[in-house]
Amino acid sequence: MALALGRAIQEGRNLLEPEAYELLASYGVSVPPHKLVSSAEEAEAAATEIGYPVVTKIVSPDILHKTEAGGVLLNLNDAASVKAAYGQITEHARQGKAAVRGVLISRMAPPGTEVIVGLTQDLQFGPVMMFGLGGIFVEVYQDVSFRLIPLAERDAAAMIHEIKAFPLLQGVRGKKPADLKALTHLLLKVSQIAQENPEISEMDLNPVLVYEKGLSVVDARVLLHQRAPTA
Amino acid sequence: MPSPFPSFKSKEALQALFRPSSVAVIGASTAPEKLGYQIFKNLLDAGFPGKVHPINPKAPEILGCPCYSNIDAVPDQVDLAVIIIPAPLVADTIRRCGSRGVKGAIVISGGFSETGPEGEVMQEQLVEAAQESKMAVIGPNCQGVNNPHHPLCASWPLLTRRGPVAVISQSGTVGAALMDWASQEELGVSTFVSLGNRADVDEADLIHYFAQDPNTETIAIYMEGVKVAPKFLEAVRQCQKPLVILKAGRTPKGRKAAESHTRSLAGRDEVYEGVFRQFSVHRANDLEQLYDFSKALSYLPRLKGPRLLIVTSSGGSAILATDVAEMTGLDVASLPDQVAQRLREVLPKHCIVGNPLDLTGDATAQMYRQVVEAAASHFDAIALIFGDPIPGASEVVGRDPLQLVIYLGGAEVERQERLLFHRKGIPVFPTPERGIQALSHLL
Repeated sequence: MALALGRAIQEGRNLLEPEAYELLASYGVSVPPHKLVSSAEEAEAAATEIGYPVVTKIVSPDILHKTEAGGVLLNLNDAASVKAAYGQITEHARQGKAAVRGVLISRMAPPGTEVIVGLTQDLQFGPVMMFGLGGIFVEVYQDVSFRLIPLAERDAAAMIHEIKAFPLLQGVRGKKPADLKALTHLLLKVSQIAQENPEISEMDLNPVLVYEKGLSVVDARVLLHQRAPTA
Repeated sequence: MPSPFPSFKSKEALQALFRPSSVAVIGASTAPEKLGYQIFKNLLDAGFPGKVHPINPKAPEILGCPCYSNIDAVPDQVDLAVIIIPAPLVADTIRRCGSRGVKGAIVISGGFSETGPEGEVMQEQLVEAAQESKMAVIGPNCQGVNNPHHPLCASWPLLTRRGPVAVISQSGTVGAALMDWASQEELGVSTFVSLGNRADVDEADLIHYFAQDPNTETIAIYMEGVKVAPKFLEAVRQCQKPLVILKAGRTPKGRKAAESHTRSLAGRDEVYEGVFRQFSVHRANDLEQLYDFSKALSYLPRLKGPRLLIVTSSGGSAILATDVAEMTGLDVASLPDQVAQRLREVLPKHCIVGNPLDLTGDATAQMYRQVVEAAASHFDAIALIFGDPIPGASEVVGRDPLQLVIYLGGAEVERQERLLFHRKGIPVFPTPERGIQALSHLL
């Protein structure tokens, strides 16, 4: 079992974002360069090391929706704004009485086609994988595809092809086509993670930025099945 | 991670329900308006090959058969009990049947889980009784079983036409409608099973059974939700025959209606969509598609490729067909030059030689034959649209390559030709859209 999962199970909580990154990376999924810090000074040093622009995100077992909780600041270009961001988001969290485990500094990923890859529990069929294009496509049009795990390669490919917005991934209006091979590979990896770690109840990689070559998982949420913490 | 699930009902257990040697109708009635009378009469009229015993403590005889006061009084061995008595009496009756050696029961009676908590308790008691007695039970709250190949019509209406499609339905009427259509077209079904509340036998048991049934080519299912998902998936995985499913309860209100109908968990439609695609289930969106897809899959071979030639006497019908073909992944490919040239030589001048190929309103069966002969080797399928009263159509259609027959606007000639086609085992579709949509499921 991945180390990150073991710790979260021990503590009876869901995965923190750096742990979700760790889990994904241990399966060979590409995540942006990142570092967990616990002071404004560390934040600045981490940003210099990672390279600008960076993103700062609150890390707290009590905060599931970071953006809504004022826990995310994007596209920071210098030391001063990183330090200020550290202060601002930790303050927000404390006001909300959330336990703060630190702040995640990660490289701001270049823009790409936003997709969502998820794992949810169906009341009847158990763990199912979901795929859709980010933004309004999932929220407004509910343009998503589902499959049961484990996925075969043709299932992963079919999930990508059958959404209505698929032409957007093939490149329209001068946009380059997205790397469908990398995307298929990601779906298969998430299926494998879910298959090999039945403690996981939900995963939400949202968004994943897909490029002409490769992709980047820029936000990852991993929830575990509810159970009492073991001492 | 495969979860454990109850095992499938054995072939022997289900054969008592579909091919019994003798039947008792518990709650048989002398009153023609009652189901207890109709079912008993249908069993006799369909020509059940063994003994049918009516059971009713108040009647001396029904339709000339001596009536018994209870199952214990029947002198012979009974394989199947058809039960049409008030819900509170059913569990005990099943127990008595069990101790009498009855192997299966079809419970027509309603008043169980579909009615609320009290009914739910009675349904649990029914299941317990069935398990103790090692009996397979269909229902309760169902429309019975009709196996015209046996024949066994423990259901209504009385239909006896034999065919290749097993119809399994959570709604009695929906299944009966399918069987009625098939009957009217002289196609028939292999077996009709109304599942009702699925207290014991469920759709997975039946997929597993009909996958092995020699009379069944295709399994058509109307469902509001699967009962036990892992068991259903295992049955589908093992089934080598085409499976067509109409899954109702797609909208939030539809799901609610499904829950009160047979207490089914209708589930999220997008997930069902994904599961059906993943396991190569043909999903029908309405009753007509359930019928059409099953018909096409039973009588026609699989397509080797998407190239389709449309031959018609009706321009409009061909355009409708072309649109559906293009939307469903078929390829209305252009007619090769040498074929076009050859056809211009033999066909009347006013025919429009292309794809679609329009023979126009004075088309004859012979012209269709000429087109098929010239184009056969260039296409994976030829759709023949007979859009006028064209006699002899059924004489000119063969099977190589796949020939899909659509007949419309032909009035009495059409109705006669359709039956002639069906007697040859060539299915006829009533509109271009329905025909081509069904054809796309052979890809």
